[in-house]
Amino acid sequence: MNANRFDLGGGEPIITLRGIAKSYWREALEIPVLQGIDLEIPIGSYVALMGPSGSGKTTLLNLVAGIDRPTGGTLEVCGHELNDLDDDELAAWRNAHVGFIFQNYNLVPVLTAFENVELPLLLTSLGRRARRERVAEALALVNLTDKQWNYPRQLSGGQEQRVAIARAIVTDPDILVADEPTGALDAKNAEEVLGLMGRLNADMGKTIVMVTHDPKAAHHARHQIHLEKGVLDRAVEVNR
Amino acid sequence: MRWLALIWKSLLRSRRRTLLIVGSLVLSVFTVAVLQSLLTTLDSITSNPNSGNRLAVRHKSGITQMLPRSYETFLRQQPEVETVCSLQWFGGYYQDPRNFFANFASDETTIFQTFREEFGLANLTEAQVKEYLRDGAGCIVGESLALKNGWKVGDVVPLTGTIFPINPRLTIRLIFKSSRPSDENVLHFHYKVLEEGVPRMKGLTGAFWVRVHRPEDIPRLIERVDRHFANSAYETLTETESAFNLAFVKMLGNISAIIQGITIAVVLAILIVTANTMGTAIRERGAEIAVFRAMGFSASRVLSLLLAEGVLLVGLGAALGLLLAQAAAGGVRSAMGAVMPFFADFEITSATALLCLAGALAVGLLSTFIPAYAATRRPITEGLRSVG
Repeated sequence: MNANRFDLGGGEPIITLRGIAKSYWREALEIPVLQGIDLEIPIGSYVALMGPSGSGKTTLLNLVAGIDRPTGGTLEVCGHELNDLDDDELAAWRNAHVGFIFQNYNLVPVLTAFENVELPLLLTSLGRRARRERVAEALALVNLTDKQWNYPRQLSGGQEQRVAIARAIVTDPDILVADEPTGALDAKNAEEVLGLMGRLNADMGKTIVMVTHDPKAAHHARHQIHLEKGVLDRAVEVNR
Repeated sequence: MRWLALIWKSLLRSRRRTLLIVGSLVLSVFTVAVLQSLLTTLDSITSNPNSGNRLAVRHKSGITQMLPRSYETFLRQQPEVETVCSLQWFGGYYQDPRNFFANFASDETTIFQTFREEFGLANLTEAQVKEYLRDGAGCIVGESLALKNGWKVGDVVPLTGTIFPINPRLTIRLIFKSSRPSDENVLHFHYKVLEEGVPRMKGLTGAFWVRVHRPEDIPRLIERVDRHFANSAYETLTETESAFNLAFVKMLGNISAIIQGITIAVVLAILIVTANTMGTAIRERGAEIAVFRAMGFSASRVLSLLLAEGVLLVGLGAALGLLLAQAAAGGVRSAMGAVMPFFADFEITSATALLCLAGALAVGLLSTFIPAYAATRRPITEGLRSVG
């Protein structure tokens, strides 16, 4: 086994990274962020990417989510070789396969909770009634049916993040990517959000890749992958 | 939620900003629409489709100088001429000096034939015309003017002269309807009322209006008439009716250039203001745009949404500006139409409205496209970093 390849419990991989490298350029200066990443993440995994600032964990998450492109290597996610997709195809792929959960929730302030959750469905072929049903299901899942007509400013941080989770799952994606999902929450709300993510993984089989600094948050994952200076350092199975 | 609802709600993100930019658009479109309509109205004075076969013969020294009415004999003898009508601006008012309208002493025997389109001669009966010809103290008025003053046939209209020292009491014998409202804000009475009331006007007239058989004969006729009366005591200046009217418009200076200059300045100003506003609004939404794209909205779809916002914003401002201009046009017609007859035609034409709408949409697209394009080409990861 390659030094950077880890066993995350077998099973069919939903994410396969081979020799992934990513560099940024500052004028003529190349700044490598990721180097030679080989990783397979099986379907239904719950992985926490950890590491110090600048280790490349968010960059790795962005590559997996298809919002950034590697400068080297190949990346296959949900059966698609992402390097082969043009920008529009990649956008459509994201809509179908990936749900995003951000640290700052990133809800649209002028839309209600219901409308925020409905947003990604506008890109699908679903009719109005089907969309409403899907949104209602997603909001029920995050236990926010009674807040569906509230605007983000009328919700607490925890509620906003639950709306963001509803928005992430409303298209029934295969993968959820979360970048510091509890970074802006207090302990109680963080625990609630992490519990919800755990249920999405355990009950609905969603593959979750989460970037976090927080060991408590990482403890909710089934595997922790540590990065150090742009390379995979170690993988740890979480014992609960 | 539908796309339009999404666009509309995005527009209301900053209500104050939206209100201010719509307000500035309303004022700009209002200004441009009114100015362009003024230009159209002034143009219509010189491009009256009925004036193509008419000439004005006046004193070479100016319109305040008189010509002998005997010149009419020579004019009538010209083979190109169909009719000749003596016409003198009377400049009287009805009851109140502010109640001013165009009124003329005119040759009753030829006025209808010379201005047959303006009087809607085809719709007048012979009896109506004869009634006017029969009564030397009779007058004819346009329908708009009659309606404005509540006049009907048989009413007596006392006019107070301002140029000439007479106050004729005229009986309305005919009310005519014309195709252009401006042609209806006029009163004509028998020329002899002026000649008999003002001895110094005996045998004199301000101008002859000459109707020719064929417009192509006009240049030759102009040259011949002016040559014939050259070096006489009363030299003439003969010109087409359009040229004659244009002389009045020119008294206002190069108003066309002024109006076009103001229009360009207004359009440029609003383009800069809108571009700045849209640029700021879009830059503030860098993170949101990145989230939209992360969720699967393609760059071109986000660009379309942003452009639609810009177009909706200016469209709204333009529509409100045009409504305001329409309302103002009604005010201009009623307030100034009687004083300056051509203002009775003042309106925001569909061509002007379309021009304003097209201009506003172009401003919306131009002002939104550059910041929107830049925002949608920005890497998603970079946009997401601008959060918080």
